[in-house]
Amino acid sequence: MRKWAWLLVLALAACQPKHGEPLQAKVRFVPEHPTVGKAEVCIEVDPRVEYTRMTVVGDMTHPGMIPVKAEAHPAGPGLWRVDAFDFNMRGDWVLTITAYDASGKKYTKEVRLTVP
Amino acid sequence: MRTFDLLRVPLLGRFLRWRYSRFVLQLPLLLVAFLALYDGFFGRQLAPKNFATVSVWLHYRGFLVLAIAVFGNLFCAACPMMLVRGPTRFAKRFLPQFRWPRRLRNKYFVIALTVLYLFAYEYWDLWASPWLTAWLIVGYFGVAFLVDAFFPEGTFCKYVCPLGNFNFTLSTVSPTQITARDPARCLTCEGKYCVNGRVETAAGRKTAREAGPAEGVRYPGCETRLYVPEIKTNMDCTLCLNCLRACPYDNVALRPRFPGLEWLRARYRLDVVWLGVLLFFAGFMNALGMVPAYYRIAEGLSRLLGTRNEAVLLLVIYALWIGLGAGLTLLVATLADRLSGVRQTAWKAVRYWGTGFFPLAFAMWAGHYAFHFLTGWATIVPVTQQALANLGLPVGEPDWTLAALVPENWLYPLQVGILYLGLLASSYVLFGRARQRDHFLAGGVVFAYFFLLVALALWVLAQPMEMRGTLLLPPGSR
Ligand code: SF4
Ligand code: SF4
Repeated sequence: MRKWAWLLVLALAACQPKHGEPLQAKVRFVPEHPTVGKAEVCIEVDPRVEYTRMTVVGDMTHPGMIPVKAEAHPAGPGLWRVDAFDFNMRGDWVLTITAYDASGKKYTKEVRLTVP
Repeated sequence: MRTFDLLRVPLLGRFLRWRYSRFVLQLPLLLVAFLALYDGFFGRQLAPKNFATVSVWLHYRGFLVLAIAVFGNLFCAACPMMLVRGPTRFAKRFLPQFRWPRRLRNKYFVIALTVLYLFAYEYWDLWASPWLTAWLIVGYFGVAFLVDAFFPEGTFCKYVCPLGNFNFTLSTVSPTQITARDPARCLTCEGKYCVNGRVETAAGRKTAREAGPAEGVRYPGCETRLYVPEIKTNMDCTLCLNCLRACPYDNVALRPRFPGLEWLRARYRLDVVWLGVLLFFAGFMNALGMVPAYYRIAEGLSRLLGTRNEAVLLLVIYALWIGLGAGLTLLVATLADRLSGVRQTAWKAVRYWGTGFFPLAFAMWAGHYAFHFLTGWATIVPVTQQALANLGLPVGEPDWTLAALVPENWLYPLQVGILYLGLLASSYVLFGRARQRDHFLAGGVVFAYFFLLVALALWVLAQPMEMRGTLLLPPGSR
Protein backbone atom coordinates (compact mmCIF):
# COMPACT_ATOMS: atom_id res chain seq x y z
CA MET A 1 0.00 0.00 0.00
CA ARG A 2 2.76 2.40 1.03
CA LYS A 3 4.68 1.54 -2.13
CA TRP A 4 1.68 2.56 -4.22
CA ALA A 5 1.35 5.81 -2.33
CA TRP A 6 4.97 6.67 -3.08
CA LEU A 7 4.53 5.76 -6.72
CA LEU A 8 1.51 8.04 -6.89
CA VAL A 9 3.45 10.92 -5.32
CA LEU A 10 6.33 10.42 -7.76
CA ALA A 11 3.97 10.20 -10.73
CA LEU A 12 2.22 13.42 -9.67
CA ALA A 13 5.53 15.18 -9.13
CA ALA A 14 6.65 14.08 -12.59
CA CYS A 15 3.46 15.53 -14.05
CA GLN A 16 4.11 18.97 -12.64
CA PRO A 17 4.15 21.54 -15.43
CA LYS A 18 7.53 23.14 -15.91
CA HIS A 19 7.76 26.65 -14.46
CA GLY A 20 9.96 29.10 -16.38
CA GLU A 21 13.74 29.19 -16.20
CA PRO A 22 15.08 31.81 -13.77
CA LEU A 23 15.41 35.23 -15.37
CA GLN A 24 18.73 36.97 -14.68
CA ALA A 25 17.60 40.53 -14.23
CA LYS A 26 17.99 43.60 -12.04
CA VAL A 27 14.76 45.41 -11.19
CA ARG A 28 14.61 49.08 -10.21
CA PHE A 29 11.73 51.39 -9.46
CA VAL A 30 11.28 55.10 -10.06
CA PRO A 31 10.77 56.42 -7.40
CA GLU A 32 13.17 54.04 -5.70
CA HIS A 33 10.63 53.14 -2.97
CA PRO A 34 7.21 53.15 -4.66
CA THR A 35 4.22 54.42 -2.71
CA VAL A 36 0.54 53.91 -3.55
CA GLY A 37 -0.02 55.05 -7.13
CA LYS A 38 1.94 54.70 -10.35
CA ALA A 39 5.63 53.92 -10.50
CA GLU A 40 8.10 53.10 -13.23
CA VAL A 41 9.51 49.57 -13.29
CA CYS A 42 12.88 49.14 -15.03
CA ILE A 43 14.14 45.66 -15.80
CA GLU A 44 17.79 45.27 -16.76
CA VAL A 45 18.63 42.01 -18.47
CA ASP A 46 21.66 40.55 -20.25
CA PRO A 47 21.73 42.48 -23.58
CA ARG A 48 23.18 39.42 -25.35
CA VAL A 49 19.94 37.47 -24.81
CA GLU A 50 17.23 38.50 -27.21
CA TYR A 51 13.88 38.67 -25.47
CA THR A 52 10.76 39.24 -27.53
CA ARG A 53 8.25 39.98 -24.81
CA MET A 54 8.20 40.83 -21.15
CA THR A 55 5.26 41.07 -18.73
CA VAL A 56 5.02 42.25 -15.14
CA VAL A 57 2.26 40.91 -12.88
CA GLY A 58 1.82 42.35 -9.40
CA ASP A 59 0.05 40.35 -6.70
CA MET A 60 -0.64 41.32 -3.15
CA THR A 61 0.13 38.71 -0.54
CA HIS A 62 -3.48 38.45 0.61
CA PRO A 63 -5.60 35.90 -1.27
CA GLY A 64 -8.44 37.29 -3.31
CA MET A 65 -6.82 40.47 -4.55
CA ILE A 66 -6.99 41.16 -8.27
CA PRO A 67 -3.52 41.10 -9.86
CA VAL A 68 -2.17 44.14 -11.68
CA LYS A 69 -0.80 43.28 -15.12
CA ALA A 70 1.45 45.33 -17.35
CA GLU A 71 3.36 44.76 -20.54
CA ALA A 72 6.96 46.02 -20.48
CA HIS A 73 8.43 47.66 -23.58
CA PRO A 74 12.05 47.67 -24.75
CA ALA A 75 13.80 50.91 -23.76
CA GLY A 76 17.37 50.32 -24.94
CA PRO A 77 19.88 47.48 -25.08
CA GLY A 78 19.12 45.09 -22.20
CA LEU A 79 16.53 47.46 -20.74
CA TRP A 80 12.78 46.95 -20.52
CA ARG A 81 10.36 49.31 -18.87
CA VAL A 82 6.81 49.63 -17.56
CA ASP A 83 6.12 53.36 -17.49
CA ALA A 84 3.30 53.43 -14.98
CA PHE A 85 2.83 50.30 -12.95
CA ASP A 86 -0.21 50.73 -10.72
CA PHE A 87 0.56 49.92 -7.09
CA ASN A 88 -3.08 50.38 -6.17
CA MET A 89 -2.91 49.40 -2.51
CA ARG A 90 -0.54 49.71 0.43
CA GLY A 91 1.05 46.50 1.58
CA ASP A 92 3.23 43.61 0.49
CA TRP A 93 3.56 43.08 -3.25
CA VAL A 94 5.04 40.26 -5.26
CA LEU A 95 6.00 41.20 -8.81
CA THR A 96 6.43 38.34 -11.26
CA ILE A 97 8.46 39.30 -14.30
CA THR A 98 8.08 36.90 -17.19
CA ALA A 99 10.26 37.13 -20.28
CA TYR A 100 10.03 35.14 -23.50
CA ASP A 101 12.90 34.60 -25.93
CA ALA A 102 12.64 34.17 -29.69
CA SER A 103 12.06 30.43 -29.36
CA GLY A 104 9.11 31.06 -26.99
CA LYS A 105 11.06 29.86 -23.94
CA LYS A 106 9.86 31.38 -20.68
CA TYR A 107 12.03 32.96 -17.96
CA THR A 108 10.68 34.28 -14.66
CA LYS A 109 11.83 36.37 -11.74
CA GLU A 110 10.00 37.25 -8.54
CA VAL A 111 10.54 40.53 -6.70
CA ARG A 112 8.99 41.25 -3.31
CA LEU A 113 8.50 44.76 -1.97
CA THR A 114 6.42 46.63 0.56
CA VAL A 115 4.46 49.67 -0.58
CA PRO A 116 3.96 51.95 2.43
CA MET B 1 -43.89 28.01 11.34
CA ARG B 2 -44.15 25.90 14.54
CA THR B 3 -44.91 22.70 12.74
CA PHE B 4 -42.66 23.01 9.72
CA ASP B 5 -39.77 20.59 9.99
CA LEU B 6 -36.87 20.61 7.56
CA LEU B 7 -36.26 16.96 8.32
CA ARG B 8 -39.66 16.20 6.77
CA VAL B 9 -38.99 17.98 3.48
CA PRO B 10 -39.35 15.08 0.99
CA LEU B 11 -35.88 14.46 -0.48
CA LEU B 12 -33.85 16.51 1.97
CA GLY B 13 -35.36 14.79 4.99
CA ARG B 14 -34.70 11.36 3.58
CA PHE B 15 -31.14 12.26 2.77
CA LEU B 16 -30.45 13.68 6.25
CA ARG B 17 -31.88 10.59 7.95
CA TRP B 18 -29.59 8.33 5.96
CA ARG B 19 -26.73 7.15 8.19
CA TYR B 20 -24.08 8.13 5.64
CA SER B 21 -25.44 11.60 4.92
CA ARG B 22 -22.79 13.27 7.08
CA PHE B 23 -20.06 11.36 5.31
CA VAL B 24 -21.41 12.56 1.95
CA LEU B 25 -21.27 16.14 3.24
CA GLN B 26 -17.75 15.65 4.60
CA LEU B 27 -16.30 14.09 1.48
CA PRO B 28 -16.13 17.27 -0.69
CA LEU B 29 -14.44 19.19 2.13
CA LEU B 30 -12.00 16.33 2.63
CA LEU B 31 -11.06 16.54 -1.05
CA VAL B 32 -10.69 20.30 -0.71
CA ALA B 33 -8.40 19.71 2.28
CA PHE B 34 -6.27 17.24 0.28
CA LEU B 35 -5.95 19.62 -2.64
CA ALA B 36 -5.10 22.46 -0.23
CA LEU B 37 -2.39 20.31 1.34
CA TYR B 38 -0.94 19.39 -2.03
CA ASP B 39 -0.89 22.93 -3.38
CA GLY B 40 0.15 24.40 -0.03
CA PHE B 41 3.20 22.15 0.18
CA PHE B 42 4.14 21.79 -3.47
CA GLY B 43 2.47 24.69 -5.32
CA ARG B 44 3.73 28.21 -5.90
CA GLN B 45 4.20 30.02 -2.57
CA LEU B 46 2.11 33.01 -3.53
CA ALA B 47 -1.06 33.33 -1.45
CA PRO B 48 -3.45 34.76 -4.09
CA LYS B 49 -2.38 32.05 -6.52
CA ASN B 50 -2.38 29.04 -4.25
CA PHE B 51 -5.37 26.83 -3.57
CA ALA B 52 -4.50 26.39 0.13
CA THR B 53 -4.62 30.09 0.99
CA VAL B 54 -7.50 31.00 -1.32
CA SER B 55 -9.73 28.10 -0.25
CA VAL B 56 -9.02 28.44 3.48
CA TRP B 57 -8.80 32.21 3.99
CA LEU B 58 -11.29 33.33 1.39
CA HIS B 59 -13.88 30.74 0.51
CA TYR B 60 -14.07 28.60 3.61
CA ARG B 61 -14.55 31.64 5.83
CA GLY B 62 -16.94 33.34 3.42
CA PHE B 63 -19.19 30.32 2.86
CA LEU B 64 -19.11 29.50 6.55
CA VAL B 65 -20.64 32.82 7.57
CA LEU B 66 -23.11 32.71 4.70
CA ALA B 67 -24.24 29.17 5.60
CA ILE B 68 -24.66 30.14 9.24
CA ALA B 69 -26.74 33.19 8.29
CA VAL B 70 -29.09 31.44 5.88
CA PHE B 71 -29.28 27.91 7.30
CA GLY B 72 -27.14 26.82 10.24
CA ASN B 73 -23.85 25.35 11.32
CA LEU B 74 -23.35 23.44 8.08
CA PHE B 75 -19.57 23.56 8.22
CA CYS B 76 -19.42 21.64 11.49
CA ALA B 77 -21.87 19.14 9.98
CA ALA B 78 -19.56 18.75 6.99
CA CYS B 79 -16.30 19.02 8.97
CA PRO B 80 -13.76 16.62 7.41
CA MET B 81 -11.75 16.60 10.63
CA MET B 82 -14.35 14.38 12.20
CA LEU B 83 -13.39 11.72 9.67
CA VAL B 84 -10.55 10.94 12.07
CA ARG B 85 -13.31 9.16 14.00
CA GLY B 86 -12.78 5.90 12.08
CA PRO B 87 -9.05 5.66 12.90
CA THR B 88 -9.56 6.88 16.47
CA ARG B 89 -12.23 4.23 17.16
CA PHE B 90 -9.65 1.67 16.15
CA ALA B 91 -6.87 3.35 18.15
CA LYS B 92 -9.07 3.57 21.24
CA ARG B 93 -8.89 -0.22 21.56
CA PHE B 94 -5.20 0.04 22.41
CA LEU B 95 -4.90 3.44 24.05
CA PRO B 96 -5.69 4.46 27.64
CA GLN B 97 -8.84 6.55 27.90
CA PHE B 98 -9.14 9.75 29.92
CA ARG B 99 -11.98 11.97 30.96
CA TRP B 100 -11.67 15.62 29.93
CA PRO B 101 -10.62 17.50 33.12
CA ARG B 102 -13.61 19.01 34.87
CA ARG B 103 -11.87 22.38 35.11
CA LEU B 104 -11.62 22.55 31.35
CA ARG B 105 -15.25 21.68 30.70
CA ASN B 106 -16.11 25.23 29.72
CA LYS B 107 -15.17 27.75 27.05
CA TYR B 108 -12.20 29.33 28.82
CA PHE B 109 -9.76 26.86 27.30
CA VAL B 110 -11.23 27.57 23.86
CA ILE B 111 -10.97 31.30 24.55
CA ALA B 112 -7.26 30.85 25.31
CA LEU B 113 -6.75 28.74 22.19
CA THR B 114 -8.63 31.30 20.07
CA VAL B 115 -6.38 34.10 21.31
CA LEU B 116 -3.34 31.92 20.61
CA TYR B 117 -4.60 31.16 17.13
CA LEU B 118 -5.27 34.85 16.39
CA PHE B 119 -1.81 35.73 17.59
CA ALA B 120 -0.29 33.04 15.35
CA TYR B 121 -2.42 34.27 12.44
CA GLU B 122 -1.01 37.77 12.76
CA TYR B 123 2.52 36.90 13.80
CA TRP B 124 3.20 34.33 11.10
CA ASP B 125 0.87 35.95 8.53
CA LEU B 126 -0.85 32.64 7.97
CA TRP B 127 -3.05 34.18 5.25
CA ALA B 128 0.05 34.99 3.23
CA SER B 129 1.70 31.59 3.42
CA PRO B 130 0.38 28.54 1.56
CA TRP B 131 3.01 26.42 3.30
CA LEU B 132 1.96 27.46 6.82
CA THR B 133 -1.70 27.16 5.86
CA ALA B 134 -1.03 23.56 4.80
CA TRP B 135 0.74 22.92 8.11
CA LEU B 136 -2.21 24.46 9.94
CA ILE B 137 -4.49 21.90 8.25
CA VAL B 138 -2.13 19.07 9.17
CA GLY B 139 -1.91 20.34 12.75
CA TYR B 140 -5.66 20.63 13.02
CA PHE B 141 -6.21 17.06 11.84
CA GLY B 142 -3.43 15.89 14.16
CA VAL B 143 -4.88 17.55 17.26
CA ALA B 144 -8.39 16.34 16.35
CA PHE B 145 -6.99 12.81 16.09
CA LEU B 146 -5.12 12.98 19.40
CA VAL B 147 -7.96 14.48 21.41
CA ASP B 148 -10.47 12.09 19.86
CA ALA B 149 -8.20 9.10 20.48
CA PHE B 150 -7.64 9.74 24.20
CA PHE B 151 -10.85 11.47 25.26
CA PRO B 152 -14.58 10.84 24.79
CA GLU B 153 -15.99 11.61 21.36
CA GLY B 154 -17.17 15.19 21.06
CA THR B 155 -14.48 16.54 23.41
CA PHE B 156 -12.55 18.12 20.56
CA CYS B 157 -15.61 19.89 19.12
CA LYS B 158 -16.96 21.14 22.42
CA TYR B 159 -13.89 22.03 24.42
CA VAL B 160 -10.91 22.37 22.08
CA CYS B 161 -11.71 23.43 18.51
CA PRO B 162 -11.53 27.24 18.12
CA LEU B 163 -13.12 27.05 14.70
CA GLY B 164 -16.01 24.90 15.89
CA ASN B 165 -16.64 27.22 18.81
CA PHE B 166 -16.51 30.20 16.48
CA ASN B 167 -19.22 28.42 14.44
CA PHE B 168 -21.25 27.59 17.56
CA THR B 169 -21.20 31.19 18.72
CA LEU B 170 -22.09 32.65 15.35
CA SER B 171 -24.77 30.00 14.71
CA THR B 172 -26.81 31.47 17.54
CA VAL B 173 -28.04 33.76 14.75
CA SER B 174 -29.09 30.86 12.50
CA PRO B 175 -32.69 30.52 11.39
CA THR B 176 -32.92 26.80 12.29
CA GLN B 177 -32.57 24.78 15.48
CA ILE B 178 -32.81 21.16 16.61
CA THR B 179 -35.84 20.58 18.79
CA ALA B 180 -38.26 17.85 19.91
CA ARG B 181 -41.31 17.43 17.72
CA ASP B 182 -43.40 16.48 20.71
CA PRO B 183 -41.72 17.32 24.05
CA ALA B 184 -44.35 15.25 25.87
CA ARG B 185 -43.06 12.14 24.13
CA CYS B 186 -39.64 12.71 25.65
CA LEU B 187 -41.09 12.59 29.17
CA THR B 188 -41.90 8.93 28.75
CA CYS B 189 -38.87 8.05 26.66
CA GLU B 190 -37.12 5.31 28.60
CA GLY B 191 -33.55 5.70 27.29
CA LYS B 192 -33.24 9.38 26.26
CA TYR B 193 -31.49 7.88 23.28
CA CYS B 194 -30.85 11.21 21.51
CA VAL B 195 -28.20 11.95 24.11
CA ASN B 196 -27.36 8.46 25.36
CA GLY B 197 -27.16 6.67 22.02
CA ARG B 198 -29.19 3.65 20.96
CA VAL B 199 -28.12 0.06 20.34
CA GLU B 200 -30.57 -2.43 18.87
CA THR B 201 -29.33 -5.74 20.26
CA ALA B 202 -30.76 -9.24 20.05
CA ALA B 203 -31.91 -8.74 23.65
CA GLY B 204 -33.77 -5.56 22.77
CA ARG B 205 -33.19 -1.82 22.64
CA LYS B 206 -30.54 -0.40 24.93
CA THR B 207 -28.64 2.83 25.49
CA ALA B 208 -24.96 2.77 24.49
CA ARG B 209 -23.88 2.52 28.13
CA GLU B 210 -26.33 -0.31 28.92
CA ALA B 211 -25.28 -2.24 25.81
CA GLY B 212 -21.54 -1.93 26.49
CA PRO B 213 -19.63 -3.86 23.83
CA ALA B 214 -22.67 -6.02 22.95
CA GLU B 215 -23.34 -6.78 19.28
CA GLY B 216 -26.07 -4.76 17.65
CA VAL B 217 -26.92 -1.88 15.33
CA ARG B 218 -25.49 1.25 16.91
CA TYR B 219 -26.80 4.80 16.66
CA PRO B 220 -24.49 7.14 18.57
CA GLY B 221 -26.13 9.87 20.62
CA CYS B 222 -25.21 13.52 20.86
CA GLU B 223 -21.46 13.77 21.30
CA THR B 224 -21.63 17.25 22.75
CA ARG B 225 -24.21 15.97 25.29
CA LEU B 226 -27.22 18.01 24.23
CA TYR B 227 -30.58 16.66 25.31
CA VAL B 228 -33.01 17.42 22.50
CA PRO B 229 -36.16 18.48 24.41
CA GLU B 230 -34.10 20.95 26.44
CA ILE B 231 -32.20 22.56 23.58
CA LYS B 232 -32.75 26.32 23.59
CA THR B 233 -29.64 27.35 21.68
CA ASN B 234 -27.47 26.28 18.76
CA MET B 235 -24.41 26.57 21.00
CA ASP B 236 -22.48 23.27 20.88
CA CYS B 237 -24.70 21.81 18.15
CA THR B 238 -22.62 20.51 15.24
CA LEU B 239 -25.74 19.62 13.23
CA CYS B 240 -24.36 16.08 13.01
CA LEU B 241 -27.95 14.77 13.34
CA ASN B 242 -26.90 11.82 15.52
CA CYS B 243 -29.90 12.68 17.67
CA LEU B 244 -32.24 12.26 14.72
CA ARG B 245 -30.94 8.80 13.94
CA ALA B 246 -30.72 7.72 17.59
CA CYS B 247 -34.29 8.67 18.50
CA PRO B 248 -36.45 5.59 17.98
CA TYR B 249 -39.63 7.69 18.08
CA ASP B 250 -38.77 9.94 15.17
CA ASN B 251 -39.19 12.84 17.56
CA VAL B 252 -36.35 15.09 16.44
CA ALA B 253 -37.06 18.13 14.27
CA LEU B 254 -34.93 20.82 12.63
CA ARG B 255 -37.27 23.77 12.83
CA PRO B 256 -37.04 27.25 11.40
CA ARG B 257 -37.05 29.98 13.98
CA PHE B 258 -36.78 33.74 14.03
CA PRO B 259 -33.04 34.45 13.52
CA GLY B 260 -31.42 35.40 16.78
CA LEU B 261 -34.51 34.73 18.87
CA GLU B 262 -32.42 32.61 21.20
CA TRP B 263 -30.40 35.65 22.27
CA LEU B 264 -33.45 36.77 24.16
CA ARG B 265 -34.53 33.41 25.49
CA ALA B 266 -31.35 31.48 26.23
CA ARG B 267 -29.45 32.12 29.43
CA TYR B 268 -25.83 31.54 28.45
CA ARG B 269 -23.16 30.60 30.95
CA LEU B 270 -20.59 33.28 31.73
CA ASP B 271 -17.83 31.48 29.80
CA VAL B 272 -20.06 31.36 26.73
CA VAL B 273 -20.79 35.08 27.02
CA TRP B 274 -17.07 35.84 27.29
CA LEU B 275 -16.51 33.83 24.13
CA GLY B 276 -19.04 36.07 22.36
CA VAL B 277 -17.35 39.20 23.75
CA LEU B 278 -13.92 37.92 22.68
CA LEU B 279 -15.13 37.15 19.17
CA PHE B 280 -16.37 40.69 18.72
CA PHE B 281 -13.11 42.28 19.87
CA ALA B 282 -11.04 39.72 17.94
CA GLY B 283 -13.08 40.40 14.78
CA PHE B 284 -12.48 44.11 15.26
CA MET B 285 -8.75 43.47 15.67
CA ASN B 286 -8.68 41.29 12.59
CA ALA B 287 -10.13 44.13 10.53
CA LEU B 288 -7.94 46.76 12.21
CA GLY B 289 -4.88 44.68 11.28
CA MET B 290 -5.49 45.61 7.64
CA VAL B 291 -5.54 49.39 7.85
CA PRO B 292 -2.73 51.97 8.17
CA ALA B 293 -3.88 53.07 11.65
CA TYR B 294 -2.86 49.68 13.03
CA TYR B 295 0.68 50.08 11.72
CA ARG B 296 0.87 53.60 13.11
CA ILE B 297 -0.18 52.26 16.53
CA ALA B 298 2.53 49.59 16.25
CA GLU B 299 5.17 52.20 15.29
CA GLY B 300 4.13 54.40 18.23
CA LEU B 301 4.20 51.49 20.63
CA SER B 302 7.58 50.44 19.32
CA ARG B 303 8.99 53.89 20.09
CA LEU B 304 7.33 53.93 23.49
CA LEU B 305 8.58 50.51 24.55
CA GLY B 306 11.92 50.83 22.78
CA THR B 307 11.58 47.49 21.02
CA ARG B 308 11.14 46.35 17.44
CA ASN B 309 10.31 42.79 18.45
CA GLU B 310 7.05 42.04 16.61
CA ALA B 311 5.99 39.26 18.97
CA VAL B 312 6.26 41.61 21.94
CA LEU B 313 4.43 44.41 20.15
CA LEU B 314 1.65 42.09 18.98
CA LEU B 315 1.26 40.63 22.46
CA VAL B 316 1.01 44.10 23.96
CA ILE B 317 -1.51 45.27 21.33
CA TYR B 318 -3.66 42.16 21.81
CA ALA B 319 -3.46 42.25 25.59
CA LEU B 320 -4.35 45.96 25.66
CA TRP B 321 -7.23 45.68 23.23
CA ILE B 322 -8.81 42.54 24.64
CA GLY B 323 -8.13 43.67 28.21
CA LEU B 324 -9.70 47.04 27.43
CA GLY B 325 -12.70 45.33 25.85
CA ALA B 326 -13.19 43.01 28.82
CA GLY B 327 -12.70 45.85 31.34
CA LEU B 328 -15.10 48.23 29.60
CA THR B 329 -17.67 45.46 29.25
CA LEU B 330 -17.48 44.70 32.97
CA LEU B 331 -17.79 48.38 33.79
CA VAL B 332 -20.72 49.12 31.49
CA ALA B 333 -22.61 45.95 32.48
CA THR B 334 -22.17 46.78 36.17
CA LEU B 335 -23.33 50.34 35.58
CA ALA B 336 -26.43 49.06 33.76
CA ASP B 337 -27.12 46.70 36.65
CA ARG B 338 -26.84 49.46 39.22
CA LEU B 339 -29.10 51.72 37.16
CA SER B 340 -31.76 49.05 37.07
CA GLY B 341 -31.47 48.63 40.83
CA VAL B 342 -29.82 45.21 40.71
CA ARG B 343 -26.84 44.60 42.94
CA GLN B 344 -24.93 41.55 41.85
CA THR B 345 -21.32 40.80 40.95
CA ALA B 346 -19.78 42.31 37.81
CA TRP B 347 -19.50 38.78 36.37
CA LYS B 348 -23.20 38.23 36.73
CA ALA B 349 -23.82 41.62 35.15
CA VAL B 350 -21.71 40.61 32.14
CA ARG B 351 -23.60 37.35 31.92
CA TYR B 352 -26.87 39.28 31.81
CA TRP B 353 -25.97 42.05 29.36
CA GLY B 354 -23.10 40.49 27.44
CA THR B 355 -25.43 38.41 25.28
CA GLY B 356 -25.86 41.58 23.26
CA PHE B 357 -22.36 40.97 21.89
CA PHE B 358 -23.45 37.88 19.95
CA PRO B 359 -25.15 39.78 17.09
CA LEU B 360 -22.28 42.26 17.01
CA ALA B 361 -19.71 39.47 16.82
CA PHE B 362 -21.59 37.92 13.94
CA ALA B 363 -21.89 41.26 12.13
CA MET B 364 -18.22 42.10 12.62
CA TRP B 365 -16.97 38.83 11.15
CA ALA B 366 -19.67 38.70 8.46
CA GLY B 367 -18.78 42.23 7.32
CA HIS B 368 -15.07 41.48 7.18
CA TYR B 369 -15.41 38.09 5.49
CA ALA B 370 -17.99 39.47 3.05
CA PHE B 371 -15.40 42.02 1.91
CA HIS B 372 -12.74 39.42 1.16
CA PHE B 373 -15.14 36.86 -0.24
CA LEU B 374 -16.89 39.28 -2.57
CA THR B 375 -13.67 40.87 -3.81
CA GLY B 376 -11.98 37.60 -4.57
CA TRP B 377 -14.58 34.87 -4.82
CA ALA B 378 -13.88 33.94 -8.46
CA THR B 379 -10.17 33.43 -7.82
CA ILE B 380 -11.10 29.93 -6.69
CA VAL B 381 -11.52 29.06 -10.39
CA PRO B 382 -7.96 29.80 -11.57
CA VAL B 383 -6.33 28.51 -8.36
CA THR B 384 -8.22 25.23 -8.65
CA GLN B 385 -7.24 25.00 -12.30
CA GLN B 386 -3.63 25.61 -11.40
CA ALA B 387 -3.62 23.12 -8.52
CA LEU B 388 -5.21 20.47 -10.74
CA ALA B 389 -2.76 21.31 -13.54
CA ASN B 390 0.07 20.75 -11.04
CA LEU B 391 -1.42 17.31 -10.51
CA GLY B 392 -1.08 16.75 -14.24
CA LEU B 393 -4.73 17.17 -15.20
CA PRO B 394 -5.62 18.96 -18.47
CA VAL B 395 -7.73 21.85 -17.13
CA GLY B 396 -6.75 24.73 -19.41
CA GLU B 397 -4.96 28.02 -18.81
CA PRO B 398 -6.04 29.80 -15.58
CA ASP B 399 -7.61 33.23 -16.03
CA TRP B 400 -6.23 35.34 -13.19
CA THR B 401 -8.41 38.32 -14.01
CA LEU B 402 -11.42 36.48 -12.52
CA ALA B 403 -12.00 38.03 -9.13
CA ALA B 404 -14.76 40.28 -7.84
CA LEU B 405 -18.39 39.27 -7.49
CA VAL B 406 -19.77 42.78 -6.97
CA PRO B 407 -18.47 46.25 -7.89
CA GLU B 408 -15.95 47.49 -5.35
CA ASN B 409 -18.02 50.54 -4.40
CA TRP B 410 -20.81 48.28 -3.09
CA LEU B 411 -18.61 46.71 -0.46
CA TYR B 412 -18.50 49.43 2.15
CA PRO B 413 -22.27 50.10 2.07
CA LEU B 414 -22.77 46.35 2.42
CA GLN B 415 -20.50 46.23 5.46
CA VAL B 416 -22.28 49.24 6.95
CA GLY B 417 -25.62 47.48 6.39
CA ILE B 418 -24.41 44.29 8.07
CA LEU B 419 -23.06 46.17 11.09
CA TYR B 420 -26.25 48.24 11.42
CA LEU B 421 -28.27 45.04 11.34
CA GLY B 422 -26.01 43.65 14.04
CA LEU B 423 -26.52 46.77 16.14
CA LEU B 424 -30.27 46.56 15.59
CA ALA B 425 -30.30 42.94 16.75
CA SER B 426 -28.15 43.89 19.74
CA SER B 427 -30.54 46.65 20.71
CA TYR B 428 -33.39 44.14 20.47
CA VAL B 429 -31.53 41.92 22.94
CA LEU B 430 -30.50 44.75 25.25
CA PHE B 431 -33.87 46.46 25.44
CA GLY B 432 -35.55 43.07 25.77
CA ARG B 433 -33.41 42.47 28.85
CA ALA B 434 -34.01 46.03 30.08
CA ARG B 435 -37.76 45.45 29.74
CA GLN B 436 -37.52 42.33 31.87
CA ARG B 437 -36.24 44.65 34.58
CA ASP B 438 -38.62 47.41 33.64
CA HIS B 439 -35.74 49.83 33.25
CA PHE B 440 -35.04 51.07 29.73
CA LEU B 441 -32.24 53.44 30.69
CA ALA B 442 -30.11 50.48 31.76
CA GLY B 443 -30.42 49.01 28.28
CA GLY B 444 -29.68 52.45 26.83
CA VAL B 445 -26.32 52.63 28.63
CA VAL B 446 -25.15 49.33 27.16
CA PHE B 447 -26.58 50.34 23.79
CA ALA B 448 -24.54 53.57 23.85
CA TYR B 449 -21.41 51.49 24.49
CA PHE B 450 -22.26 49.20 21.56
CA PHE B 451 -23.04 52.20 19.37
CA LEU B 452 -19.57 53.61 20.00
CA LEU B 453 -17.97 50.26 19.23
CA VAL B 454 -19.90 49.99 15.96
CA ALA B 455 -18.98 53.57 15.03
CA LEU B 456 -15.32 52.68 15.63
CA ALA B 457 -15.69 49.50 13.57
CA LEU B 458 -17.26 51.47 10.70
CA TRP B 459 -14.37 53.92 10.83
CA VAL B 460 -11.89 51.01 10.60
CA LEU B 461 -13.74 49.47 7.66
CA ALA B 462 -13.77 52.84 5.88
CA GLN B 463 -9.97 53.12 5.96
CA PRO B 464 -7.87 52.29 2.92
CA MET B 465 -6.58 48.73 3.07
CA GLU B 466 -2.96 47.93 3.80
CA MET B 467 -2.05 44.28 3.42
CA ARG B 468 1.28 43.98 5.09
CA GLY B 469 2.98 41.04 6.74
CA THR B 470 5.47 43.03 8.78
CA LEU B 471 4.21 45.12 11.65
CA LEU B 472 7.04 47.65 11.35
CA LEU B 473 8.63 49.00 8.20
CA PRO B 474 12.42 48.98 8.01
CA PRO B 475 13.75 52.25 9.48
CA GLY B 476 13.78 55.11 6.95
CA SER B 477 11.57 53.50 4.34
CA ARG B 478 8.50 55.67 4.92
S1 SF4 C 1 -35.87 13.22 21.33
FE1 SF4 C 1 -36.34 11.05 21.10
S2 SF4 C 1 -34.68 9.97 22.13
FE2 SF4 C 1 -34.61 12.10 22.81
S3 SF4 C 1 -35.80 12.07 24.71
FE3 SF4 C 1 -37.20 12.68 23.04
S4 SF4 C 1 -38.12 10.76 22.39
FE4 SF4 C 1 -36.32 10.20 23.57
S1 SF4 D 1 -26.70 15.09 18.04
FE1 SF4 D 1 -26.28 16.93 19.25
S2 SF4 D 1 -24.81 18.08 18.01
FE2 SF4 D 1 -25.71 16.54 16.67
S3 SF4 D 1 -27.45 17.61 15.69
FE3 SF4 D 1 -28.26 16.56 17.48
S4 SF4 D 1 -28.18 18.11 19.10
FE4 SF4 D 1 -26.84 18.84 17.45
